[in-house]
Amino acid sequence: MDTIVTAVKLNSNEIFNLLKQFITEVIGEEFIEEMDISMESSFNKDLEMDSIEIVAFSEKIKAHFGERINFTGWLSNMDIDQLIELKLGMIVKFIESCQ
Amino acid sequence: MPIIKVNNRDVHIQELNRGAPETILLVHGMLGNLSVYYFRIAPILARHFHVVMYDLKSHGMSEKITSGYDLNSLTDDIAHLLERLNISSVYLAGYSFGGLISLKMAARFPQQVKKLVLIEAPNPNDDKTRLMMDAYNKESLENYLNGPDKKKQGKRLLDRKHRLYEHLFHETTIKKDVLQERDFFGAAEIAQIGQDTLLLYGAHSPCLEAGENLNAKIRKSELFALNGDHDIPLQEPERIGNMMEMFFRTQLAQA
Repeated sequence: MDTIVTAVKLNSNEIFNLLKQFITEVIGEEFIEEMDISMESSFNKDLEMDSIEIVAFSEKIKAHFGERINFTGWLSNMDIDQLIELKLGMIVKFIESCQ
Repeated sequence: MPIIKVNNRDVHIQELNRGAPETILLVHGMLGNLSVYYFRIAPILARHFHVVMYDLKSHGMSEKITSGYDLNSLTDDIAHLLERLNISSVYLAGYSFGGLISLKMAARFPQQVKKLVLIEAPNPNDDKTRLMMDAYNKESLENYLNGPDKKKQGKRLLDRKHRLYEHLFHETTIKKDVLQERDFFGAAEIAQIGQDTLLLYGAHSPCLEAGENLNAKIRKSELFALNGDHDIPLQEPERIGNMMEMFFRTQLAQA
């Protein structure tokens, strides 16, 4: 399996860069070049990720952080509108709070 | 990424709570993918069950395949998937076209299906689905997605969806295969289904009639009309997850 569980505590900037890398891997470098990805980027509107791509992105977070971050558990408390409006910065904050 | 080989084809699966003794298998619908369960419904079920979701062929992140969209082939796919995962029997649930696959699975492989949940399974004799396939083109997709109640979608997403429609409706046998199943609800095998069956439909869905039809045919079934339409897994995910969990963990009240 491709699980790389890291025990190192990351700051918000490092988490942001890591998530940006995951997004690039999911949707492809050629699309990323045209985007200005920031903490304010929303998954649906700005990054144009559909639900199966968000599944792939979630799996990368799980594989990287392992049991420490219950990312899908956190997402499961959101309704569909909240999921669509989800911003990158909110995930960075969530991961930071779990470390 | 959990892509596994089943019969030498790539199948995308997701599993939750692998240690649990009993397994629930979730089947999504046509043009959908496993994400219909992944975010809301599966985590509820995973409190007590091992949950397996998979992407049908050509859907989500599974391999594109040009043929085998009839219910026999699609249930063979499930049998092979269960064999590959070393699972002898499951609690089975399917949404929309995935409901038809699940119903067929319960009829063909009764020993492998302990209980059945059908969410918004349509009557394949209904012309609406087939007309939708015939009428499909990029412009109509764009109109549908960008209609008055829909948010405008970006080019990349639209292209992705367009490629899936193009592939399924123009490069595979899906239209012919689905047409072949039009008399499925009239088949004797439906009346033979012995599993406890929970039928979940939207009170405002055009498919509700199909639910009533199945409720009359399946011996041990209960039908619930939930607040919503064909999209009830997105409209009432928590209710559906909780109802499924309770149904799989308990006995149906026998009349």
